[in-house]
Amino acid sequence: MFALLSFSGDALLGCHRSYRSRPTHGIGRFKYLLPKEVPKRKKEKVQMKEISEGTEYQYGDINIQMTSYDVCLVEHFAQYVHRLCNRLSIRVNESYAMPTKTNEVLFLEERGSKMQLDAVLTTHQRVVQIRGLSSTFAPILLEIIQSNQPEGVHLLMKQHTEADFKSRLKSRPELEELLAEMS
Amino acid sequence: MKKKLKKLEKAAPELIPIEDFITPLKYSESSRMRSLPALSPQESERRVLLLKKWCLFKQKQDEAEKKAIKGLVESQQEALRELRLESEELYQAAVRRDEGLFPFQRDGPTYTPPLPGYDPPEGKCIDITKVYTQ
Repeated sequence: MFALLSFSGDALLGCHRSYRSRPTHGIGRFKYLLPKEVPKRKKEKVQMKEISEGTEYQYGDINIQMTSYDVCLVEHFAQYVHRLCNRLSIRVNESYAMPTKTNEVLFLEERGSKMQLDAVLTTHQRVVQIRGLSSTFAPILLEIIQSNQPEGVHLLMKQHTEADFKSRLKSRPELEELLAEMS
Repeated sequence: MKKKLKKLEKAAPELIPIEDFITPLKYSESSRMRSLPALSPQESERRVLLLKKWCLFKQKQDEAEKKAIKGLVESQQEALRELRLESEELYQAAVRRDEGLFPFQRDGPTYTPPLPGYDPPEGKCIDITKVYTQ
């Protein structure tokens, strides 16, 4: 009668015939030879990273926000700014996209009072967040970015705040309602 | 009701999905292929040489930019050194960060200047962005 060895690689649990004293003990083991498997990570919670204030000679977290109607231009400009910061060894915390806004443009016809649909415009925004910009280098960086600014791309540089982070998250009306009821 | 609140608070906040990064289905369903005409060897040769010239031009441009940045930084450092030799107080005030610098805004340049005496038609803009709730 044959007893089949289970292929779990673990000799002690799998097989009911464990001759621990024999030299053939653990003959089927192979899992110790395989590379260690990293346990599957659960979905990471979206948490706000610490906002640094910066010292007197350095700025804290700064957001470089680029807005435009044209996706390609704004994406390529964001890539350019990111690579520029890498080249100038400025630490880039994050480089993300803000949700797109869609606008319907209607105009009044020349003869008549009806509003006619002209176009549907999408506004795209990309953000590059940097930290530790020195006060002497800041005007130079501004100069470089401005000289390479493409047409139609609106540039905005401001300090990063919690409100900026919150604007990226979905609104939770039920939670807000309950909180309003409680207080 | 407190249980409801606890349950809602437990759920982590989600980021709003970005429509730019989701390809619309109509571009992935049917197989649409562009039929390009065959290029003559002279044409392909011309294109390759043009590409090489463009690469060289862009390289020169990039090097000039890097040189300009270096020059700016060096002249700034020299100016600060001279200022330090002049007066320590002014140097300390110059190296401090500028609070009035941010927020900084600038519109991109335009292809053409605005037309003089242009009368735009009346109209309005409606925001139809999709609102996501959790």
